[in-house]
Amino acid sequence: MKSTDTYNDIKEVNLSYLMLAQSMVRADRAGAVFKLGISEEIADILDRLTPGQILKMSSSDMLLCNFRFDDTLLLNLLANHERERGVGHVHAAILAAGKAVEAVA
Amino acid sequence: MISGGRVRNKSVILEARDIRLAVELVELGARLQLLEAETKLSRERLLKLYKEVRGVSPPKGMLPFSTDWFMTWQPNIHASLFMAYYRFLGKHTGLTGLEQIIKAYRMYLEQVKRGNMDTVLSLTRAWTMVRFFDANMLQMATCHECGGEFVAHAYDPTKGYVCGLCHMPARAGKTRRAAAAAA
Repeated sequence: MKSTDTYNDIKEVNLSYLMLAQSMVRADRAGAVFKLGISEEIADILDRLTPGQILKMSSSDMLLCNFRFDDTLLLNLLANHERERGVGHVHAAILAAGKAVEAVA
Repeated sequence: MISGGRVRNKSVILEARDIRLAVELVELGARLQLLEAETKLSRERLLKLYKEVRGVSPPKGMLPFSTDWFMTWQPNIHASLFMAYYRFLGKHTGLTGLEQIIKAYRMYLEQVKRGNMDTVLSLTRAWTMVRFFDANMLQMATCHECGGEFVAHAYDPTKGYVCGLCHMPARAGKTRRAAAAAA
């Protein structure tokens, strides 16, 4: 893959991510804090971003969303197909709720 | 607060807020006792409201008062899931009290629905459980295999605790209904 492709893909993902995150925060703040794994402070920042700011932020050459699961067990639970899906996701949700959220330093 | 009757008539706005709250609670399946504890509406009004929203009279009888229900395999998973959301919201959002319970319960319902599971935990049970925690009758135990936190009896030893999801009982989930659905 050429580097310009990667750059465009990153831009695309950033834009989708920011737009999705903003609409999630606006629709259901508490739920979004859990689903996005962010602090309320970051939720406030997302809420206040203007479309122009979102566009500018997404054209960065690094991904703005983080890989959230630094935990192999959690990863396995979500990726594993053997177990009954519902139960695996419940287990994952219980573990995810115990994790720290991303916060502004 | 001099007499109950006078307090009730005090504020129309507060009463409107209580009615809205009560309707939301009834829709989520709350029992009458929960409504009486959380709103200032009279029993008669709550009865009427309940019938209007649900179309039937509220179930009679006492609320479940045993903590044992939360310990069997399936209820424990559901109770622990609710508590995970409840504690997350308490730590990371400004929600408190009943709002925190309602939001956690909605998140629980959402998760259960997505996983095609039965709603094992009712709102009234969830609310009762939070009160059990406040009264130090229940505690969270950390599973030493997955690190997740699960509902357990207070004062039970938690060293070496393993949760019901890491060590599923052999017959877990194999109900008569599941067999019928597969057939």
